[in-house]
Amino acid sequence: MIKFDQVSKTYPGGHRALEKVSFELGNGELAFLTGHSGAGKSTLLKLISVMERPSAGRVFINGVDLNGVSNRQIPFVRRDIGIIFQNHRLLERYNVFDNVALPLVIEGMHHKHIAKRVHAALDKVGLLDKVRCQPSTLSGGEQQRVGIARAIVNSPPLLLADEPTGNLDPELSMEILRLFEDFNRHGTAVLIATHDLGLIARMKYRSLTLNHGRLSQDPLMEGQL
Amino acid sequence: MSLLFKGREAQTSSLHKSWIMGCYFFVLTVFRQGVNSLGEMWRTPMASLMTILVLGLSLTLPATLYIVVKNVQQVSSGFSDAAEISLFVKDSMTEQQTQTLVKRLALYPEVEGVKLISKSKALEEFKRVSGFGQALDYLEENPLPNVVLVTPTSRYRKPQAAQQLLDKLEDEREVEFGKLDIEWLERLNALLSLLKESVVTIALLLLSAVILIIGNTIRLSIMDKKEEIQVLKLVGATNTFIHTPFIWTGVWYGIVGGLVAFMSVAMMLWWLESAVSMVAGVYQSSFVLQGLNGNELLTLLLLAVMLGFGGSFLSVHRYIKDIEPDKV
Repeated sequence: MIKFDQVSKTYPGGHRALEKVSFELGNGELAFLTGHSGAGKSTLLKLISVMERPSAGRVFINGVDLNGVSNRQIPFVRRDIGIIFQNHRLLERYNVFDNVALPLVIEGMHHKHIAKRVHAALDKVGLLDKVRCQPSTLSGGEQQRVGIARAIVNSPPLLLADEPTGNLDPELSMEILRLFEDFNRHGTAVLIATHDLGLIARMKYRSLTLNHGRLSQDPLMEGQL
Repeated sequence: MSLLFKGREAQTSSLHKSWIMGCYFFVLTVFRQGVNSLGEMWRTPMASLMTILVLGLSLTLPATLYIVVKNVQQVSSGFSDAAEISLFVKDSMTEQQTQTLVKRLALYPEVEGVKLISKSKALEEFKRVSGFGQALDYLEENPLPNVVLVTPTSRYRKPQAAQQLLDKLEDEREVEFGKLDIEWLERLNALLSLLKESVVTIALLLLSAVILIIGNTIRLSIMDKKEEIQVLKLVGATNTFIHTPFIWTGVWYGIVGGLVAFMSVAMMLWWLESAVSMVAGVYQSSFVLQGLNGNELLTLLLLAVMLGFGGSFLSVHRYIKDIEPDKV
């Protein structure tokens, strides 16, 4: 699904965020991406969603080299990736329905189909009764789940989550993670960046650990080397 | 259209099977965005009102100047036969000789019409119009000469050509001298063309101001929606999708601003109408103030729409590309 091949990223100004990172995430796999603050977790996710381009090396999604994707094609790459943010990034001007419908509206889907899919997505995250609410009237956990509904509404094959549980208490965090597990069981590949080590420890999934821009623990890759 | 996963196509966009359906949905989306952006302007009336009023006033001034030119032209077109040449016949000439002169002049290819005003007729008219009336009866003889009024053909009405014709006519031996009252017409024409030029200049300045005003308003709107644009880019919106609502907003500003300009011009004309008809009455003329007709209203609106489009297009292409999701 995702393959990094000797990827380095140096920001203008000389800060080296990633150094020669190589790993592979299989189809339908769920993995955690951990590391201290500033270890390069966000940079790695940005490279996958083409918010940044690598300084060296190549990133593949489903075998497609992202270096070969032109700026005009970026929107179409992002339509295949559901992205979830720590601060959920909902649009305050719109209600829950319109927020979740956004990716479908962008694709130009007919509004009858949109309603069906939005309701299905909200049902999955358990917020069907809040469909007409404004995001600001919801609790933090609920807002995060609306953000997740928006990410999965067009059933992308790949989900990226950047600190999805950062602002939530352990119970809510667990709930969110159960959601991700559920999507993963339906065949979606999930990559979750988090520094909540307690959470990772409770779940038996592969974890990629970044340390100062280098991938320090990846048992699968070590096995190959 | 899935770039990375070929098999996904059928799943998400099964509606866009054919190229024509794709176009249809694109137009539908653009149209829907247009309605949405109008609705948004409606929801924030105060912010939009200021911009619309500024635009309306900026468009009112060129429109007013245009109307001034149009009306002055209407007045001056009544003076096209002003290039009339008056030939004063020598006193020594008999009635017979004067008639011959008239006949000869009528044969000139440069001349369209000839009219003789005999001295007796001229005196009668002078008595009637001047108000001296009976005082003129005391004159022993008629002091007025015979006058031949020559109307040149249209080609010879231009100041220079008329002057040449005058020189030629003065060579006739019956003619004492000729008079061509054309200087004031020349001045009027010069003033008129000066006025037209300044209208064009002022219009150009104000119309570029309109583009800048709309561009700036759209820029502020883009800055205001920065976060929204970032989210849109993150969930895979194309630039066209993000640009369209802003372009529409510019176009709506243009349309409403154009209508405001039209209304203020109409109000101004209504206000001036009585004063103008009073002046016209003093000059015993049946002058009617001309407003903007349907075609001119359409032109005004079209121009306003183009300016709105231009202003927002510039802003959108300048500022939206700088808003990237990673630069939070």
